[in-house]
Amino acid sequence: MSTTAIELRSVHKNFGATEIIRGVDLAIEQAKIHAIIGPNGAGKSTLFNLMTGLHPLTAGSIHLKGREISSQAPYDIARAGLARSFQVTNIFANMSVFENIRCGMMWDRGYKYSFWRFAGRQRDLTENCEAILQQTGLTSRRNVPAGLLSYSDQRALEIAITLASGADVILLDEPTAGMSRSETTQAVDLIRAVSDNKTLVIVEHDMGVVFDLADTISVLVYGEIIASGAPEEIRGDPKVREAYLGAEVD
Amino acid sequence: MEVFLFSMFNGVLYGMLLFMLASGLTLIFSLMGVLNFAHASFFMLGAYFAYQISKYVGFWPALVFAPLLVGVVGAAVERYGLRPVHRFGHVAELLFTFGLAFVMEEVIQMIWGKVPVPYDVPAALNFAAFTWRGLDYSAYRLFMLVVSVGIFVALFLFIAKTRVGLMIQAALSHPQMVQSLGHDVPTIFMWTFGFGCALAGIAGVIGGNVLGTEPAMAITLGPIVFVVIVIGGLGSLWGALIAALFIGIMDNMAISYDIALFPIFAMFGVEREAEGIMRDLVDLTTGGIAPVLPYLLLVLMLIFRPRGLFGTRDV
Amino acid sequence: MAGILQRWGVWIAAAAVILVMPVFVTSGFYITMLNQMGVLIIFALAYNMLLGQGGMLSFGHAVYFGLAGYTVAHYLNGIGEETLPYLPVSLIPIMGGAVGLFFGVLIGFVSTRRAGTTFAMISLGFAEMVTALTLVVVTFFNGEEGIQTDRWVGPEPLGITFGSDVQVYYLIGAWCLIATAAMYALTRTPFGRMCNAVRDNPERVQFIGYSTHRIRWLAFSLSSFFAGLAGALHAVNVEHVGFETVGLAQSGLVLFMVWIGGAGIFMGPILGAILITLLNSNLSDFTDAWYLYLGLLFMTVVMFARNGLAGLIVMHEPIWKIKIGLFQKMIVPYALGIGSTLLAVAGAIGIIELAYFMSTRTTAETITHLYWVEIDAAGPVPWIASAAALAAGFAACTRTYPIMAASYNGAIAEVKALVAS
Ligand SMILES: Nc1ncnc2c1ncn2[C@@H]1O[C@H](COP(=O)(O)OP(=O)(O)OP(=O)(O)O)[C@@H](O)[C@H]1O
Ligand SMILES: [Mg+2]
Repeated sequence: MSTTAIELRSVHKNFGATEIIRGVDLAIEQAKIHAIIGPNGAGKSTLFNLMTGLHPLTAGSIHLKGREISSQAPYDIARAGLARSFQVTNIFANMSVFENIRCGMMWDRGYKYSFWRFAGRQRDLTENCEAILQQTGLTSRRNVPAGLLSYSDQRALEIAITLASGADVILLDEPTAGMSRSETTQAVDLIRAVSDNKTLVIVEHDMGVVFDLADTISVLVYGEIIASGAPEEIRGDPKVREAYLGAEVD
Repeated sequence: MEVFLFSMFNGVLYGMLLFMLASGLTLIFSLMGVLNFAHASFFMLGAYFAYQISKYVGFWPALVFAPLLVGVVGAAVERYGLRPVHRFGHVAELLFTFGLAFVMEEVIQMIWGKVPVPYDVPAALNFAAFTWRGLDYSAYRLFMLVVSVGIFVALFLFIAKTRVGLMIQAALSHPQMVQSLGHDVPTIFMWTFGFGCALAGIAGVIGGNVLGTEPAMAITLGPIVFVVIVIGGLGSLWGALIAALFIGIMDNMAISYDIALFPIFAMFGVEREAEGIMRDLVDLTTGGIAPVLPYLLLVLMLIFRPRGLFGTRDV
Repeated sequence: MAGILQRWGVWIAAAAVILVMPVFVTSGFYITMLNQMGVLIIFALAYNMLLGQGGMLSFGHAVYFGLAGYTVAHYLNGIGEETLPYLPVSLIPIMGGAVGLFFGVLIGFVSTRRAGTTFAMISLGFAEMVTALTLVVVTFFNGEEGIQTDRWVGPEPLGITFGSDVQVYYLIGAWCLIATAAMYALTRTPFGRMCNAVRDNPERVQFIGYSTHRIRWLAFSLSSFFAGLAGALHAVNVEHVGFETVGLAQSGLVLFMVWIGGAGIFMGPILGAILITLLNSNLSDFTDAWYLYLGLLFMTVVMFARNGLAGLIVMHEPIWKIKIGLFQKMIVPYALGIGSTLLAVAGAIGIIELAYFMSTRTTAETITHLYWVEIDAAGPVPWIASAAALAAGFAACTRTYPIMAASYNGAIAEVKALVAS
């Protein structure tokens, strides 16, 4: 039996007078990879921002593992086990790669605001960080200030910070944007490797990646989900072809 | 009644002076994102320049040339000081203007000495315009009022009617648009900064001889101007006007009425014969807390409504 | 053994220096200066917890320094009059810290919701408010006179009375070491790391489970604790607390120290506090223009040296760690650059001193000393000479700085090549 990890019920969002999200209902199953695709400006990132508490909803509600999170602060939602990466790289530029990742995992491992013990002495933290460095291929860049990394390494770090939190629901906003072919392949392998027992929601423009990874695909156009289903269904859906996919799938 | 009218008049006058400073400051902040800590120092510079010029050629030329000079100094400061710091971010800019305020005070002491300079009300206006119920109304104060209202009207016409004004208006409400206006942004910044400083300079010229022209005048007035723009709401000239008048009138009323606050504290159980720290409460009057009030308002406003009364965006 | 030395060497050395200093420095003037320095080092480090670690620019941190000072002064008086229970004077700083913490928790809660300009303005608002209150709440602040106190109170354990400045020196030295170690340790904790994270990117912090407000509030409170501790030592040291200790000038001074020393580096504020106190004690009697020089130094650092003086030192660290011999090639370019800077500075100082002399002199006398030379300030010669030095120095700087930068970049490139191979 499958359960719902995250559920959106008739979610609306206005920025000023313009309605950007126009009634989205979406149920994302646990331990599945769910892709959201759609043209530029459709509201995909906005949807992520709503799910993670960056913006308040105009109407509707969002539930994480059955609990309503619609009006909670981003940190509360993060603590409840929802992590996200950003479309525009959003890292701690002055800290080393290692410390970026360690910051990402401290809350989850119970270190919270503690100021009476040294971060560097905590073996569990260090070992977990090394594991994530390994996983994301950043081990050789361990002590480099994040701001000095190459673009693709920064993208990898963006994902590494997101993974570090140990959340079981992970939202990735265009994880392969701007990557070369081979880097994309690596990223896809990484995503697949971490997806065990985790719920992944991915916004992605690269259809190869989407159809390769996703268990379910939803198509968002102008703030509305026009189709949702398994990759084959989406591929064959005439509405989707018309609205968005065009020749890309063929 | 006399007291009321008298403190109303002085309050409006003080408020208009504050507005002249605040309008320049809010203009600079809205357009450039720089909170100019040294703004009141340009006000002080205006007073000193006016003193120096009027020593040689009299008050009237000083009224024109001192603000112009201040504006040029301001533009130069922007061009050669602030612009290079811009890339380090807003904290560095704020630090720069903080240092500037400090240095300007010291330079003024270096040139004109530590004691007040004798910058007096011009003889032509140094008489009582009229006397009402035994109180003299100085002609110079009326003149100050006329000038400040004139500046205020001119400023509004400038912003409402001219091309540059319309652009500034657009920038006030949508600061991120400034970059996309397609004009030479650094030059606009430079002249905006200069213009704002010149406005402060005018206030210095007409206010310096009444308030006293001395090296501490900037540091006493500067924080109050911040209060005005925060309460009025950044980017709102109307807000600045109303907040300036409000602060000016409140200050004058609190001091001239000097109402004892004891009855309020008595409601909380403070006794008239109280000893120790309570003793201070017993003797407290509105005049005594007048210097505290603006900052109390500032802090409350920033905590509960960071966009101020009429602002469209947060500090 | 080597491991211990490597780990604790700096601290042992610092303790040793503090311990033996009075053997070499015997003049009362310098002991007083050292005492002041110790207090300001603690205060500067506390301030930098906000500015450097947490990215919060405060114009009012002296509030916590001063309020603790006032409280402690009253408490010492209370001990003296036997109206308050005895507390060893050596532990009084903890009480100051508690006072700082109390106000820090209270005011910090409302002011740390945002950083940046809003925070700076709120801090200014509180600073001005407390300054204005010094004239209103007379019983506590005693207006412009301030509170006089006496640290020689109560029993005298082991004969320690704190009657002499040297005893106070050791008190301040010990607390300075403890506080520095504690604040350094804080930077290494999860809280310390998250402080830096909030400074660098507050948006992302929220999405890794942390409330930015909580982190800033905690940083503010802890910083106020150490500011209060410094304030208490200040009260014990000078036995007087005046309204200027809570004011904008005091907050500005600590800001200057921290920024000139280098806010981004832990040692920076220490360096800044030492340097500014040294200059302040030695120059302020010497020249009226001391504050002008301080302001100009601050602005220069804001414009040209983002990480302060400590930053200038640290940027050479790779060279001395990897191959110290590389400095050999840099001596000449650096000497040229520093030489032309000194020439320009000398010229500027000449002009400033002359101007100050002319505007502040009380007699018609125009003969004075400039650089140990007797000159006539009314004549053109010293002015022209100073202006010429300034112009020549400035022109030389524009030529020599690129040379200096090139030699630095060359050395760094060589270091990089060495590391890579
Ligand atoms: N904070 C905001 N304020 C106002 N408008 C916004 C805001 N955030 C997003 N928008 C608008 O909402 C619309 C959707 O933006 P969003 O970033 O969600 O699109 P997207 O589907 O992620 O597009 P892309 O594929 O380009 O990333 C855009 O028109 C954008 O201008
Ligand atoms: Mg997007």
